[in-house]
Parts: sequence; C-alpha cells; structure tokens
Amino acid sequence: MKNYTIKKNMRSLFFVALIVLVQVTFAQKVPTEDDYYRLTTVPTPEGVKVEGGGVLALADGTVAVATRRGDVWIIENPTMANGNKAVFKKFASGLHEPLGLAYKNGALYTAQRGELTKLIDTDGDRIADEYQTVYAWPISAHYHEYSFGPVLAPDDTFFVTANVAFGNEEWWRGESRVPWRAWTMKITEDGKMEPWATGMRSPAGYGLIDDELFYTDNQGDWIGSGALWHLPKGAFTGHPAGLKWAGHEDSPIKITEEEFYSKIDIRQVKKNGRYRKPQNIINEEDPDFRYEMKEHFPQLQLPAVILPHGILGISNSEVKVDETAGKFGPFSGQVLIGDMGQSKIMRVVLEKVKGEYQGVAFDFRAGFQSGVMRMDFDQSGNLFIGETNRGWGSAGTTNSGLEYLTWTGRVPFEMKTVKAKPDGFEIEFTKPVDKATAEDLDSYTGSSYIYKYHAAYGSPQTNVEPLKFRGVQVSEDGMSVRLVVENLRKFYVHEIALHGVKGKESGNGILHRSMYYTLNAIPDGAKLTATELSTKRSSAHKKPVSKKKALVKAKTTAKKVLTDKEVQPLLASNTCLACHSKDKRIVGPAFKSIAKRNYTNEEIVELIYNPQPKNWPEYATPMAPMPHVPKDQALKIAAWINSLKK
Amino acid sequence: MQKRLLVSLLFLSCGLFAQEQISFENLNDFKDQAGNWQIVGDVTVNRGVDVHHEPTKEHDTKKKKKKKKKNEPAPLKAVEFSPGTGIALNINSEEQRDALVTNWEHGDIKFEIEVLLPKGSNSGIYLQGRYEFQLRDSWEVKSALMSDMGGLHNNWETAEDKIFRGIPPMSNAAKAPGLWQKIKIHFQAPRFNSAGEKIANAKFVTAELNGVLVLSNVEVPTHTGGPIEKNEVAKGPLLIQGNHGPVALRNFKYQLLKESSVALSSLSYKTYKGDFQDLKDISDHYKVAQGQANKIDVNSIGEEDEYGIMYVGKINIEEEDTYTVSLGYTGGVKLILANKKLFENNLPDGEGLLQEEIKLTKGSHSFILINIKSAAWRAPRLGMTIESAVTNPKSFHVLDSDPPRVNSTSPILVDAETEPRLLRGFVSFKGNEKRLSYTIGVGTPQGVNFVYDLGAANLVGMWRGDFVDATPMWHNRGNGSFKARGMVNWTFLNQPIAQLETPNSAFPETGTAPNFVAKGYSIDKNSGLPIFKHEYKGVVIENKMTVDATETYLIQEVSFSKIGLTNWYLKLASGDIQKSADGAFVIGGQQYYINVLSGQTPRIREVVGESELVLPVDGTSIKYEIIW
Repeated sequence: MKNYTIKKNMRSLFFVALIVLVQVTFAQKVPTEDDYYRLTTVPTPEGVKVEGGGVLALADGTVAVATRRGDVWIIENPTMANGNKAVFKKFASGLHEPLGLAYKNGALYTAQRGELTKLIDTDGDRIADEYQTVYAWPISAHYHEYSFGPVLAPDDTFFVTANVAFGNEEWWRGESRVPWRAWTMKITEDGKMEPWATGMRSPAGYGLIDDELFYTDNQGDWIGSGALWHLPKGAFTGHPAGLKWAGHEDSPIKITEEEFYSKIDIRQVKKNGRYRKPQNIINEEDPDFRYEMKEHFPQLQLPAVILPHGILGISNSEVKVDETAGKFGPFSGQVLIGDMGQSKIMRVVLEKVKGEYQGVAFDFRAGFQSGVMRMDFDQSGNLFIGETNRGWGSAGTTNSGLEYLTWTGRVPFEMKTVKAKPDGFEIEFTKPVDKATAEDLDSYTGSSYIYKYHAAYGSPQTNVEPLKFRGVQVSEDGMSVRLVVENLRKFYVHEIALHGVKGKESGNGILHRSMYYTLNAIPDGAKLTATELSTKRSSAHKKPVSKKKALVKAKTTAKKVLTDKEVQPLLASNTCLACHSKDKRIVGPAFKSIAKRNYTNEEIVELIYNPQPKNWPEYATPMAPMPHVPKDQALKIAAWINSLKK
Repeated sequence: MQKRLLVSLLFLSCGLFAQEQISFENLNDFKDQAGNWQIVGDVTVNRGVDVHHEPTKEHDTKKKKKKKKKNEPAPLKAVEFSPGTGIALNINSEEQRDALVTNWEHGDIKFEIEVLLPKGSNSGIYLQGRYEFQLRDSWEVKSALMSDMGGLHNNWETAEDKIFRGIPPMSNAAKAPGLWQKIKIHFQAPRFNSAGEKIANAKFVTAELNGVLVLSNVEVPTHTGGPIEKNEVAKGPLLIQGNHGPVALRNFKYQLLKESSVALSSLSYKTYKGDFQDLKDISDHYKVAQGQANKIDVNSIGEEDEYGIMYVGKINIEEEDTYTVSLGYTGGVKLILANKKLFENNLPDGEGLLQEEIKLTKGSHSFILINIKSAAWRAPRLGMTIESAVTNPKSFHVLDSDPPRVNSTSPILVDAETEPRLLRGFVSFKGNEKRLSYTIGVGTPQGVNFVYDLGAANLVGMWRGDFVDATPMWHNRGNGSFKARGMVNWTFLNQPIAQLETPNSAFPETGTAPNFVAKGYSIDKNSGLPIFKHEYKGVVIENKMTVDATETYLIQEVSFSKIGLTNWYLKLASGDIQKSADGAFVIGGQQYYINVLSGQTPRIREVVGESELVLPVDGTSIKYEIIW
C-alpha cells in the first residue's frame, strides 16, 4: 500500500515537473508582472470582512488592518510562514469607518469619521481596552465626510485629511459644511489641532516622502485628474470648498471664496428654478488651467505628479515610499501609489527642479483582487495591501481583502527613473538597452497634454499635442538614454511610450513601456548638440507603402466591424479597459450592456466625448469625457460594441 | 430619489387612518358590563405588586422589606387611579369580570389604542370577538411566546382541523408595568362566498407594539382561545378581555374598512413611439396602436423605452367622498380626473409614486392619463390605485404594470451574542430629527441596548431586543449610520452635566460648552462594557451603563474626579414628569421611569417651557435606573 502510494506520487511529481518546465520555457518569451512581483492573498476567516481602510506592518512581525466595518485586526504570521496559518485577532471594533493606522509608543492611532482615536492594549492580550479621543473635529454627518489618516509626522504629530460633503440640490458640488472639511489637519498628542492645508476633495491617499507630507486626490469637480501633491503648510491644492474657512483666525490660507470666484467661474447656474450640473465645455475656447490661476493665488499648489485619469488609476490611494533597501527589488527609495478603481499600483519618482517637486509616473503592478486602498512594507520587504471597492467598484471584482506583494528576486527590464533635462528627458533603465533599437527615433512616440481646472466633474486631456523628438543619445553602458524633445511644454504631462526599445540581454521590450512626466519646471543647463544625437529612423529604410494601397485598405477596415482581438489595442490605448470589460461590470457597465441600449454608432461616439452618467444611475463613478479619442477609432469601437448585441 | 420614494411609501401605509375616535368620556360605545370597567382620569401602578401573586423574586422581597421598615404602609394596591375621564380601567373581581365589547361590529379594520398593565396582569384584544391579540405583562420575558404581549393566543382545541397553536410576536416589544403601550393593528376579516363557505382566512396585515412590527401578514386559520363564539363570521364586535387582571385603555382610534365600489369603464388607449422629451410631444403623428382595455398595462406597448401611452376612461363612483389617487410611474406622467389636473411630472426620465386627494361625487368621471418615457435605465411602470378613508385600496392596472416595490438588499445585522458589541455611527435623534455625529451604540448579550452621544456625555436612547442594522452604513457607500432593531426610547438632546449660572439656567446645547472635551472610553475587563470619559472644567467625568440583575433595564453611574463642586447639575430627564408612589419618576406621559439609587433627591424644574428632572452634583457618584 505504502509503496504503491510513493510510486504513484513519484510518477505524478515527474509529470508536474515536466509541465512546469514547459511552462517556464513559454513564460520566458513574454515576461509579465507576475515574474517579478508575486501576489499572495491572505485568506480571511469566514464571515470576516477585511475592507482595508488602514494597513500597518508592526515591528513584531504582525500586520494591523483597520477595516471600513470598524474593526482593527492584528494578523499574526501574515505571510503564512513555515506552512502555518495566519491568525486573526480582533484588536478593536466598533469604530466609525476608520481609514488609516499609525503606530507610536505602543499604541495604534486611527482616524474615525469624527475623531482621531488612540487605541491601547494595557494588559497585553492584544485587545485594546482604551479608546482615547485624541481630537474630535466637527462633522456634519454627510455620507461623504470620510476622514483619512493619520500620518505620523517626524515631529510626532499626526496629519488627518478630510473629505468634502456634497450639496443637497447641487449633489455634484463638493462643499465644506463645517470647519476643516476639505482640509488637512495637524494634530498633537494632547489634542491641539492646527489647520494645515486645504483644497482637498477626496484625499484618500497620503504619505511621507523625504519627511514631507504628500497626498493624492481623486478626480472630480475641480480635480481634472488624480495626482500626487506635496503638501507644505498653507498649501491650497485646488478644490475651493475649504476656502469657506479662510477667514478663520487659525487658517493659514487667506484666499476667500469671493476672491477665488472673482477669477474663475463657479458654474452655478439655475434653469427652471433648479441648479444645472456643470458639464465639460466641448471645444472650449479659453479653458482655465491651474498654472494660470496660480498667478492670482500663489498659495495654489500644483500637483507634483499628475496620474493621468483612466491611465494611471481612477481613484488614487495610499502613498508609500519603498524603504526596504532592496528587499523589494530595484526601486528602493521610489514612491508607490495605489489605485482603488483600477486595482493596481503605480510607481513614481520625484525630483526637485527649481525648488519644486515634480517627476515621473509609471504603471507598476496590476491584477489585485480588489481596490487597492492601503499598503505597508513588513520587515522582510513584503508589501501588504488592504483592499476594498465597496460603493465604487474596481477592476478586481472581489469586494475586499488583504494581499501581499513579494519581489521574486528577478529584475524586470523597466525604466528606473526619468529626469527632466533642459532639452528633454534622461531615462535610466534597470538593465542595459539594445543600442540599435534605443537609438532609433521610431522606437519612441509621445504626446503632451494638460487638464482643465473647472467645476465640472473631471476633465478630458486638453491641448493634446504630439511630441517631436529631435534626437536620442544612448549612454556608453546602455543604462540610460537622453531623449531630446523639441516641444517641451511647462505644466504639461509628457507621455512617452518606448514601444520599440529592447533589452540588450533578453531582446524583450520594456515591461511597462510608457512614462508620464509632469513638467512643472524645465531645468536650466546645457542642451545636447545635434552632433551628440542619433536621429536614425528605421522607417526611413523601409519601402514606403503606396498611397493608393493604403487608402484602399483604410476604406475596407472602416466598414468591417473589428473582432474582439482587433479591438483590444484600441480599447487599451484609449483607456476604455480601465473601467469597461466585454461581459463584466467593472467600474462602468459591460460593453454588452451598452450594446443593449440600442444606441447608433454615432450616438456612442457622442457619449464617449460627452458621457451622460445619469443614464447609468446604478454606477457610482461617473465617466470622464474622452474627447481625445480619435473619431475614426471611436467609430470602430462603437461598431464593435454594437456588434455585441445579440 | 430613492429616499423620496421611501417617504411616500411610508405615507401611503399610514396616511389614511383614524376617522373614529373613542375618547373614553363614557362607555357608550360598549355593551353593558358587570361594572369592572369604569371611566377614570389617571392611572398609576405600584411596580412591586404582582396581580397574579406569583412568588416574588429575591430582589423584590429585599426592596419590600426595606420599604416596610421605613414607612410601614398599608398593603399597596396594584393599580391606583384618580377620578376623571379619558381612560377606561378594568379592575376585575370574582363577581365582576366581564369583557368590554363594542356595540358595533367590524370586518376589515385599522385601529390604534394605548394600554397599560400592572405587574403580572393579562388581557387581550379580540378582533371580531374571535382572534385574540394578546395583552400581558411580558416585560421581563426574554423570548416571547404566543401567550406574550403582541402574540396571537392558541385555542386549546383538540380536533385536528380546529387546532391553532398560536403565533408569537416577531420580537418582545413590551414595556414595563405601569407604562402606556401603543398598539396599532391592521386586520382583514375572513372572506366568505355566497354559500357562506370561508374562502380566505382572517389576517393581521400588520400589528405594531410600541412602534415595533410584531406581526406581518399573519393569517389566522380559525378562532383563537376564548372567543365570543366558536365560529368565524364576516363581522363581529371588538372585545377586550376583563377577567385576567387589571388593564387600562386610552386613545382608541379606529377606521372600519370596506371593499371599494370604485369602478373603471370605457377604457381606451393610444400608444406612441418616439424619443419624447415632453408630455406635449406625443401626437397622432407618432401613434402606433389604439384600442380598448380593461385595465392599465404599460407593457401592452411592447416597448422598453422611448414610448408614450394615453389612456382615456371613466371612473365610476357610488359614494361621494374624498378619494386618494396613487400613481406609480417611470418617465413623465399627467393625470386629469373630473376636469382637474391631479398630477403632472413633465420629465422623460422621472420615477416615483404620486398621491393626491380629490373629492368625487356620485356618478361617472372622465379621466385622461398620459405617460412618456425616454430613460433606458428605468423599467416601464404605470399603475393607478384609488382608495378612500373607509375603503381598501383598489388597483386599476395589471400587477406587472406597477409591481410591488421590494427592497432586495441583504440586511447587514450586528448582534451582541456572547459579549457586548459597540458600534459608532451617525444616529438621527427620534429616527428623523437631528443627526448626531459622535454617537456610539452599545448592545449587550442580555438584549438591553442603548445609544450614547460621546459629544455630550448623554444617553440619548435605549431599547430592548436585537442590536442594530448596519445596512445603511455598510451597504454600498453607505451613509455612516445604523438603525436600532427595536423601539428606541429617546431621551433628550443637549449636554446633561454642567455648571449652571443659576439653578434655573438652561443646560448647554451639545458642542457649545467650552472646556467640555470627550476623552473616549475604556472597556471594563469584567463586563466588556464601555466606561465613557469626559473632561469638563478640569474634572474627569466617568459614565458607566450596566444592565440590571433582571436583565431588563439600564443602570447609569456617573462619577467625578473631584468633590466639592458647586452649581453643578445633572439632568436626568426632560418632558412630562410625574413622581410615583414608590419614589420613581415617570417620564414623558408614562413612557419610562427614572429611579435614583444613590440617595440624592432630584428636583423637577421648568426651563423654557419644558419640565426637567435635575440633580445637584457635588462630586459624589450618582447612580440611577432607567426603566422602560
């Protein structure tokens, strides 16, 4: 009996080994994120909802998670080491939707909706028996008045950020009904509060970078796209709701609502006795931009790094610096930013140019089971992620959970950093590039754009312009590239795809081929001369396609409805897939459900350019206008959507 | 939109009510009885006296002994009353023990009444004299039986087709002896065919006890125990039992209901196809069909969206009265009835339930009903229902044209099963008044629960039963609030502990007192219950709520870090306050009791037109019972 079992096992082992071998050889061809960063789900006890509102790895090897259900769990052995289970202990419960955790001197701190609370276990049973109110702030009891935090500052004080409420009739307009909503507060251990900064709309993400406070906000009214802001004291980051309290003696911001709206249209219009929701003005002649308003209001803080909406997230969350000193891979010191709606994590590298933060953002890791809300590194360099999507929806269709991300020890071929240069960008790689492809200007495409600053929900990419590359210089060791751009634009996002650049060793493309640089300032200094640059274009050697042939081809493709496979690149490049899938509801409705609405192709195109969220009341996140989608592509997508009608 | 709909639905369920009122000036509405029923002015009970003379529990004996030593009174009566009117009181004896029976009969009926029972008493309200809704002192009962307050009593029959085993209330919502308890019942009489055979059971459509739904859509297949006659009939009198102990009645309001005689005739329709944005947009140009119909049916258009429909017909009225017309719809809608524009909601994408009253004379009245819809995300819906105060509603649409609205969200319930459960959330005072931001709910395994306002150090409400429904907070985005799963006895708002300038100064509004800081709470290791902490003028105040030994009510203990406090006061209650014979105070028109255990003497004061029960505070601890 025993012998037989062993034999059988041996045989199946061999079989498994064979399969693994085969898979590995296949996998080597096109590496994916999984090859570099492995995702593990921590199983939660049945009935326990870990709607991660706060995640904190503690020095004793446990991970604490504050949930939207009001509990704080302490999870022992969270990485399930030695084949043992993770053990969940309920440290605290009954809290009011806590959305953050910090640790100081043996106590946990969390921001409930209405107060900063200190949780202490006085007798060592891992159950809090003191729930001390550190500071309670005013709150009007509106549903959207979430409070996020705290961030433990280097001076041992706490930062808490506070969501806006929304209007009753003007349900789209963020408002601050009581003092310090739409603000960031700085709170001391003994309960003193200092209003720190305002302009917040839905400040779900926060973190310290270089010991300075940074935060992320979500797209909405006055916030054209999600972004990362540096938040020094007295900053006004753009949403005007909090200016209501500028007259308060403690306010470090002196811009009054009246002054603000004398420079920019409040878009508060009544028609037939009811307020009308402000919409994006299509082909607007002279839209307002933040940098223009900054001329009037120097306290207006521009985002350090814009995370283009729909591309690098739709609802940005936690800001976390990789301080693992290499345990988490080659991006030590860089910033990770989560996203709830797209269930992924982006990577940001900041630099200071002319005294202000700016920098680059990349995609880093997608595929989380639910919305990425909070994250923290444990001692071993595992990144724990607290997840939730309740009420908003996310690409990962599980409603909540806890996962962790582990570096597999392999270095991906990635852009490591991008730095602004007087004449373009310097891109540094994790591995040497193949010189031939890197010196080929056809390997690069790019555009630059900006977002409007207005009362309407979100903003399309505006003033979109293709980037003109004058030349490229590849470093001797192949580890970096200088890309010279003719038409740099201050304050614009510069999006560059390195689709043709290959790795020297593997011959593979870059894992994440696009970078998004927010150019708030262009550094001074020497520019490269023409002789130092390669201006080679591989297309110049190819036989040009005859115009006639191309035309004919275009005509036929226009008529033919694309297949699922053919439409994929269009859906991907136009960021449709961020919120829609063919069969499944994600953030937005499935394409099949849209097909059922019997729109004509032209109507769908019109709705891409000017969405009507009221048509889909059961979807929480309104779609942003996407006028930058080229009309021919939009028509192809529309035709494909309508082909799903059966 | 959803909220508005909900409100209107609520309105629908209780809007038409209470045409008749028995104010107990006399007993003229009732048949003669032996004299055990009388009209009185005021009724109080002695909470310690059990009318069924059951062996008293230990703690009761102790209490009585104490009292005897102090006062040596004559044996207490269970019920005391003063002359006057407004209340019918039953005090039965061996000889006098009749039921109180109305001299009118009812079929379908809606009524509400308040009842008061002394400790250990038992009575019942018999619908049609045959179906007993049990009245009983069930205050200390943990799991209510069919023989407890709010249940339907069994009938002890042995013949198989006659057995009725009784129905317990969905939860025990009974109050303490001596408090007024409100009952609200909607009853449907059994139905018989022309041959006299029963074709539908009697039904308690809804029954509420103290604001808690205790029966919902419960059919009673036969008479219950102790009927006036062992049969079932279309009409019978209302009967209140008088042979099992004292019971008092007040505020009796009722409405007899009958089948509606409203009829619909000459109904014709026209349907239209088009992306109509305005009710005026429909015209014969867009017409696709026309014809005759018996009932309204929006699905007869055969379109999901971008349609219009117009009905023309006659409403026939047999009795002149005020009628309530209800219209369920999606899209836009307009109804003209008897040459009066009753509704107009000129939108292509609206949704709702409209209600309007109209006086209609006997005869035939024309109507025109127009509906458009251009809103792909809303399912077609159009339905019309007419009722009057004296009739059951009657619908003039096929069911599927305006199907019942059902909330299909799975409830997220929070229970305190083995240990106390705390949960912070926004709480609306009295369910719909001021929204409190710093409130915490505390549930206990004993089922005695309360809501505490951390921003004011104030017990704002308490209830027995299950803890809370967190669906409003945890479903979807949520609104940050939870709902108590029981009848909450609300107390009052504002900060109850303060140093006052004069003994008659008002207590500060919540959040307005400087130097008043919430400090959170610690969890008592033994009980698992919170000890709330506040700091006010340099004094640490601790507030502790525990459940009494009978597991029925709350004991609150307030302690201070300093003694020798001057001009400090604690507000115990607000509203109508009476002192009862045993030293306790009855609050809010006999809604709950406050009984101080720690020896201080409260004072009733009038401030800004409101009575308050106030204790002076010098820093020694204060302990008192809150009983309901």
